[in-house]
Amino acid sequence: MNEPRLIRGNEACALAAIAAGCRFYGGYPITPSSEIAEHMARELPEVGGVFVQMEDEISSLGAVIGAAFAGAKAMTATSGPGFSLMQEHIGYAVMAEAPCVIVDVMRGGPSTGRPTSPSQGDVMQARWGTHGDHPAIVFAPASVAEIFELTVKAFVVAERTRMPVIVLYDEVLGHTAETVALPEEVTVADRRKPEVEPEAFLPMLPANDGVPPLPAFGDGYRFHVTGLVHDERGFPSDDPAVAGALLRRLHAKVENHRSEIVDVATSHLDDADVVIFAYGIVARAAEEAVAMARRQGGRVGLVRPRTLWPFPDAEIAEAVRGARLVVVCEMNLGQMLLEVERVVAGSVPIAAVLRGDGEPIDPDEILAALDRDMEGALP
Amino acid sequence: MTTNGRLDVRFAGAGGQGIVMAGEVLAAAALRMGRSAAHSKAYGPASRGGASRSDVVVSDGAVGFPLVRRPNIVVALTDEAYRKYGHDHADDAVVIVDVDVAAPRNGALVAPIVETARRIVGTDVASGVVGLGVLSRSLDVFDVDILRGTIAERVPAALEDANLEAFAAGREMVG
Repeated sequence: MNEPRLIRGNEACALAAIAAGCRFYGGYPITPSSEIAEHMARELPEVGGVFVQMEDEISSLGAVIGAAFAGAKAMTATSGPGFSLMQEHIGYAVMAEAPCVIVDVMRGGPSTGRPTSPSQGDVMQARWGTHGDHPAIVFAPASVAEIFELTVKAFVVAERTRMPVIVLYDEVLGHTAETVALPEEVTVADRRKPEVEPEAFLPMLPANDGVPPLPAFGDGYRFHVTGLVHDERGFPSDDPAVAGALLRRLHAKVENHRSEIVDVATSHLDDADVVIFAYGIVARAAEEAVAMARRQGGRVGLVRPRTLWPFPDAEIAEAVRGARLVVVCEMNLGQMLLEVERVVAGSVPIAAVLRGDGEPIDPDEILAALDRDMEGALP
Repeated sequence: MTTNGRLDVRFAGAGGQGIVMAGEVLAAAALRMGRSAAHSKAYGPASRGGASRSDVVVSDGAVGFPLVRRPNIVVALTDEAYRKYGHDHADDAVVIVDVDVAAPRNGALVAPIVETARRIVGTDVASGVVGLGVLSRSLDVFDVDILRGTIAERVPAALEDANLEAFAAGREMVG
């Protein structure tokens, strides 16, 4: 490990990207993500990479997808309004199977909302914002150290699945500096390249895990890239059998790599009467609330998904087993709450601590909810 | 004053008064003293004016919740910022305010912080440095030489001496 130093969340994100091998950034600055672009603009040329400021967020992700096919590990970063503009190309990256990383530093919305306030209002947009029946991979770090760790992981998963992978955190984490000792080395992954001769190459013929090998433009392999339904040759097809198989394969890629993707942290669950569900910066308040409740003799535990999508159904179901109350905490008016309700399916009562005013949730608010919603939760 | 070896510090002021740098200096100094720290900030869309805060958590061990909750120390440089961010502090908190604050709480230390920054350094941006001086003398937590060294690294070289003089002037405001 390196010496501990103060690092802001957005800086950690950029440092992680470069450590993971990112050598292309296409973006358009927007609060509260702009420090990522600033850092990449300064540092990428130092490692032989390319930084391009594009004219908007649509073209930013377009450039990133192009760089991905040219062989680069590529990323962009934005916030709500820019994330909305990127949705079309997120779908294109899913369909064309372009490995890339998209960071959304969430701010208050809808629309331009409150640029300098935190929010977790984009968690469903990250899942469903682009049209079509697509899979999604989304990570939600809860600290500056986790922003580093999960940004590296986003590149690894993007390379291994040929998917756009989203890293989602909020304004507070982006702008807060924490004491972090960065690792000296990180584990990286590179996309699988074709092993057949160029003449025998079928661009969309998948390997056993459902992921087709991906040559770079210029490697000598000719291939066509399209957002239309396509066959194994990569050319458009109107055959229902091809369309159905393609959609199932796109989903199967995520399922086949699920153990590398799904990541859930837990604490104090063994004897917990109350299980708090929280992610991102809110999970930090929840950790503090658990510590405070435990000091008072309350049997309170925490489950915090570091992967929001695919939603960790089995892990959440296991975490809440035996609980008498589940408390969902998030900085929106109830988005992941719907997923928890789906998984819990009425087996345990669910309370919620929800904030949509752009202020972070405080540990006291969570404790107050325990007191309010379950008699004896805090003896 | 501290809870479980944790100290919550809040600088509140207007954009352009150097409170973000003051928070960064305090957090960096804490690391040099072998502690852990976190620094967070809240500000509006404007780069000048408005009310903003710059919060530091200093901890003997790892910082848990990284945001300031009920500060043990408040340094408020404008009336607006004091009214917005200055109130919800610990009962035994040290409260330091600029003379701009109209109705500080009983027992607050009132000092001409911003005016002193203007006089010595010639700019409002040094107000945070004066505030650090007042703070460092008001509680015996931070190593003064480490604070001086950290300030010297952060300010433009041409203004280093003036900033250190401003820091010293802040310390002299505490009787």
